[in-house]
Amino acid sequence: MGQFEVFWPTTRELGSFAGCLMNWTCEQTELLLTDYLDGLLSAAEQHEFDAHVNSCPRCTPLVSSVTHAISALHALPQIDPSPRLVYNILDKTLGPRETVTGWAAVRAWLRGINPQRLAYGSVSLCAMFLTFASFTSFSWKKPRVADLAPAKVYQGADRQAHLVYARSTKFVSDLRVVYEIQSRLQREDQLPNNQDSTTPQTSPDKNPGSTDGSAPASPKQQNRANDLASRSLVLAAACPVCSEGRIQ
Amino acid sequence: MPSIRSVPALPATGELFGCSFRSILRQAERPLGFEANEALEQDVQLVQQCLQGDGSAWEELVRQHSRRVFNICYRFTGNRTEAEDLTQDVFLRIYRTLASYRSAHGGFATWMTSVTRNLLIDHYRRTKRDRATDSLDDAMPVVENKESSAKRPDEQALLGELSGQVQSALTKLSPELREAVVLRDLQQLEYGEIQRVLAVPEGTVKSRINRGRIELARILQQMGVRPA
Repeated sequence: MGQFEVFWPTTRELGSFAGCLMNWTCEQTELLLTDYLDGLLSAAEQHEFDAHVNSCPRCTPLVSSVTHAISALHALPQIDPSPRLVYNILDKTLGPRETVTGWAAVRAWLRGINPQRLAYGSVSLCAMFLTFASFTSFSWKKPRVADLAPAKVYQGADRQAHLVYARSTKFVSDLRVVYEIQSRLQREDQLPNNQDSTTPQTSPDKNPGSTDGSAPASPKQQNRANDLASRSLVLAAACPVCSEGRIQ
Repeated sequence: MPSIRSVPALPATGELFGCSFRSILRQAERPLGFEANEALEQDVQLVQQCLQGDGSAWEELVRQHSRRVFNICYRFTGNRTEAEDLTQDVFLRIYRTLASYRSAHGGFATWMTSVTRNLLIDHYRRTKRDRATDSLDDAMPVVENKESSAKRPDEQALLGELSGQVQSALTKLSPELREAVVLRDLQQLEYGEIQRVLAVPEGTVKSRINRGRIELARILQQMGVRPA
């Protein structure tokens, strides 16, 4: 350059200079937006920027939309090229290479495997095999190849399906019984001294159906009471098992 | 050389954008300091070995940088096949001109990014006639965009809806703004590195990044992409 050098002010310096002379403007906001997002503004400039943006109907959505756009850019994932890309590059630069065999080939193949994908694939495969084995008659203590025959797998899956169905049906039935008993007991609690009640008063000391001399219970009600009592005894005995959802 | 960026304290009035600003910075952090220096030294050693005829060193360089170069090419072109072809061209040119690399001019990754950028611009100019206009005024809907229609369905599913829309919006930017945004917000290069890659003053770099971000935000708004 010549004897005299001219230094042109940068965009940022112009913006800051303008800010000193007048109130913060929308043009300044747009000009210094990147500096603001990168934290390069001074404290005073930042204060002016925030004060203007928070009150300007034009700049508020602008800053919000740019912030969102940058976040969306940062959220873009890294794309994996095809596995052949590296080999194509090496073929074009180093030339065709001789095919490696033996352990060198295994090492080269292992090097190209994405460890994350390998881990996910292995876990998925193990989970699938465990699920598959649980539906068959495959025994982990005494594993046999014959247990993996298709006919045996089908029989095992069929048996498991029926077992699960039977257990779930029993469970629902037991829940119904418990519900009926609870609702009946609640009704009895609500009507403690109703002598005209047709519901038979079961007494622990007397046989079911025996009341204290009031109107005798009808046979149908007696049978119902007997049925409920016997079921409640069975349920009480089986309650710990029922809560686990299994049949002993 | 990469510098550590300090986060200034934000006033309460800027809390709305301050939170977004902080989250952006958190995502924009790169391995700095010791790790970056170690990577630079490793690259220099590998380059020296390559110049001595070590094929395995070249293979190591290719494996380390191919993914990054591919992503730059893909985000710029929006097309996977073109990105792979361009990646191969980049490494071919680097292989042929490896002797001209000087560590005093910057890191090997920066030099490689510069070569990538030059090839991308050359490719863009060669294929300019076949592309839809890159002007915002003539922007076409995503469905009719020639580049997005060339995307495979599995690519679109892979990227996700938002990613696909952002990629589509990126390809609508002019090449000068697009390369600045890709280098800054996707490759997370420092301003000094981008200045060396683009061979323009730092003020121009900031201006292009700023305009590119604002333009991208407007395109996303036009496409109806709303903040989450």
